[in-house]
Amino acid sequence: MIAVSASGLTRTFQGGGQALERFTFEVPRGEVHGLLGPNGAGKTTLCRILSTVLLPTGGSASVLGRDVVRDAAHVRRSVGVVFGGDRGVYGRLTARQNLNFWAALHGLSGRALRERVAVLLERTGLTGRADERVDHFSRGMKQRLHLARGLVADPPVLILDEPTAGMDPIAAHEFRDLVAQLRDDGRTVLLTTHDTAEAEAVCDRVTLMRRGAVLATGSPSSVAGLVTSQDRISASGVPAAVVAELVARPEVVVLDGSGGDRVELETSGDTTGEVLHLLVDAGVTRLVRGRPSLEEAYLRLLRRQGMAVDR
Amino acid sequence: MQSLRVIGRSAAVAFADARAIYTWRTWTFGWLGRMLAQVVFFTYLGTKVGGAEQTVRLVLGNAVMTSVVESLSVVASTGWERMSGTLPLLVAAPTRPVWVFFGRSLQWPVSGTATSLVALFGLAPLFGVSWQAAQVPAVVALVGLAALGSYCFGLLLAALVLRAYGLRNVVSNAAYLLMMPLCGVLVPAEVLPGPARAVGALLPLTHVLTALRGVVAHSPPAAVLVPTGMAVLTTIGWFAAASFAFDVLVRGARRSGTLDLT
Repeated sequence: MIAVSASGLTRTFQGGGQALERFTFEVPRGEVHGLLGPNGAGKTTLCRILSTVLLPTGGSASVLGRDVVRDAAHVRRSVGVVFGGDRGVYGRLTARQNLNFWAALHGLSGRALRERVAVLLERTGLTGRADERVDHFSRGMKQRLHLARGLVADPPVLILDEPTAGMDPIAAHEFRDLVAQLRDDGRTVLLTTHDTAEAEAVCDRVTLMRRGAVLATGSPSSVAGLVTSQDRISASGVPAAVVAELVARPEVVVLDGSGGDRVELETSGDTTGEVLHLLVDAGVTRLVRGRPSLEEAYLRLLRRQGMAVDR
Repeated sequence: MQSLRVIGRSAAVAFADARAIYTWRTWTFGWLGRMLAQVVFFTYLGTKVGGAEQTVRLVLGNAVMTSVVESLSVVASTGWERMSGTLPLLVAAPTRPVWVFFGRSLQWPVSGTATSLVALFGLAPLFGVSWQAAQVPAVVALVGLAALGSYCFGLLLAALVLRAYGLRNVVSNAAYLLMMPLCGVLVPAEVLPGPARAVGALLPLTHVLTALRGVVAHSPPAAVLVPTGMAVLTTIGWFAAASFAFDVLVRGARRSGTLDLT
């Protein structure tokens, strides 16, 4: 079953700026789906439309079969929204009071509300700080509270808009673990991020976006395969003669051969086996074979589209 | 029932704000002291230019006005949702925004009512108003109604300026400054031109003050109940207008994309 879909979705702002242009995609139920793209690609606009905060100017979008414009009230009951950053919480309230408030807005009361809030505080690791004012929280803790707020109505679909923006690496790692747990719950998660490593780590599929349109959709590895079908081989401790031999082979693309005993190559088909044999026969034991990372695919695809991207 | 729960939880946010803004000392010696000084100032001026009747009008009007001034703080505090980044989350929640906004600033009419009651029972006797125990419930109810009515009027203004947040203080200050002459705080409504009287009649404060003067003068019940009923009706009217305005605001903001997300 499709959890989230958009068909020809278009959003034009006053003044002519086009944030989404005939954007079409589908997210099956239970999938963690990443939206990747540079600033201005339309990721946040898409999240705003799917969370009913913004109306599209063309096309349609639905969540669990409900149109986000015509059935906005139903959509709001089935979608949890989490935005990154410090804002979106009441700093003068405690974490528990924040969740009590949002739970009430979603129709919870009495024991059901108290139990739900307790479960979410436990799940997000905030139980020990539940009765402290939120403006004393670190960014990572606020983001956990954001996630707890997004889950307060136990929504089957969760929209996470750059949830790890500004987090330190440890907090971001812990947050990804929480996202993985959400997938295990069977929830559908739509995650926007600039962090390709994050997308690769937690997403079942990703959609690369550019200027409001879909550039590519697929699993992180298949999207990487769109930019090259070649294998990537990295090796170090390679004898100079072997490096020279590899560099001389026309069917081998040398990505990095200037680092002394270290080489990075792209090969394909039978050549991959030959290169691996050559390296092993030369006594090289430190080598890695793989495909280009999602980050590289992301950057290459954007460059192919004529967009300057600085690493 | 769900609406009441939302109002209750929103009010919890409101009182958390109040606790962050005031301690009992700063409320008593800062806010309350300032408001009482304002009541004394205007009433004392009145004693120099008018008779006893004018003095009573001024002390009652200015004492009740303190609750109005504070209740109109809702115009500014509603915009705090925008500053805290919670506005789009409220829109994305399955609850009508007006219930949240109604509860979200309830600290002001509650604090305003307390301020007015201190002024009425503490200061008004110094200017010739005497109270009997039987009058107290009516006075408390009327002051609460003045605060609530002004709060609902302020909610409408809040909905109108939520998109133009920079105007919030100008609008609330202008509103209460206009209410002082229009609602009979400073001068009797009879001396106002017809259009001004008509505008004043739309505001709950006008009717509350008429009823309160009736209570003070031991007037027949009808002289108190009729204006009280008018105050209730106008309060409901302003709340309905505010509710409509919030719905229009949200619809417009969804169309134009002017609800800040982050």
